[in-house]
Amino acid sequence: MAMPPEDLQPELELVRRMKDGDETAFVLLYRRHRDAVFRLALMYSGSHATAADVTQDAFIHFISHPAKYDATRGTLAAWLCGIARNLARKAAGWREDATDPDALADDTAPHESRIEHDTPLERVLRGEAAEHVRRAIASLAPHYRDVLILCELSELSYAEAAQVCGIDIGTVRSRLSRARARLAQCLAPYREGAREAVT
Amino acid sequence: MTQDTLLDLKLDELRNELATIRAPEALESGLLSRFRTRAPRPRLWWMPPLALAATIALASWIVRGPVPGNDIVSLAPATIDSDPPFLALRPLDRISKEKNGARVVATEFPRALLADWGLPVSPERAEEPVRAEMLYSANGEPLAVRLLN
Repeated sequence: MAMPPEDLQPELELVRRMKDGDETAFVLLYRRHRDAVFRLALMYSGSHATAADVTQDAFIHFISHPAKYDATRGTLAAWLCGIARNLARKAAGWREDATDPDALADDTAPHESRIEHDTPLERVLRGEAAEHVRRAIASLAPHYRDVLILCELSELSYAEAAQVCGIDIGTVRSRLSRARARLAQCLAPYREGAREAVT
Repeated sequence: MTQDTLLDLKLDELRNELATIRAPEALESGLLSRFRTRAPRPRLWWMPPLALAATIALASWIVRGPVPGNDIVSLAPATIDSDPPFLALRPLDRISKEKNGARVVATEFPRALLADWGLPVSPERAEEPVRAEMLYSANGEPLAVRLLN
């Protein structure tokens, strides 16, 4: 799901003021992005304590190196999410999977050994409402789950997700498409159930 | 219900569940403390040009020596002709009016005081005493100073 275009000028003005030492500007930026960063860290790490550490470290990085944020390359939200993702993946010991397109063909179902049955996402989302979706997402291969978390659950644009993952936008689209197809496949029994309920 | 519709519906449920999760409040105070220690202090942008101007003024004064015809020199004791010239603390026309009542007094003061007169002072030596001769007017107003070390 791509985010709608937004006027970045007010936020860039806050960033400029923050660089000049304006504490109020920093607080405004922090409050605007803290929850999204925390949720993302939580989805990758599965631990509230780790997510809190990751959120703190991501913002400390922002405080220490505000000049590293390049507005021409994306939004501050995407930049912070990218930092949080890398920190959280490192903290959670995520393994990097193959990114070779040939290895990610549409009909490639994740091998049983690659399915993580108690993923961070599963541990985070314990509510009843989305139980089966959670299980379906948990069954996705990590590189599919990665773009699904960024694009569908953190609502970054394709371009931002591509920037965060270090892959091109076409790869984001194809991985997201496959992730959605896999999810839909897993949810098919519920579709049948819903149809029966209607008739 | 289509496959995509169901998927979007379920993802919406997940997003709603996630939306209730908030970052811990305690993080903010720690980050603020961190920000305060990292935030740049207001810059004293005028200090370097001022120090440069003062240095140039002092250097040119020393190189040029006493201004010819300057009455101040005649006020100084004859025995210290080889000493550095006086540095005016007041306008020269004001000083020239003190031909009769002015007096020279040997003194010693902290080097930091030179900064008040716009002279460069090394922070490491700010506490050191400096010997000087002060030219005072008849009513005790400091008119000029000569640094002896």
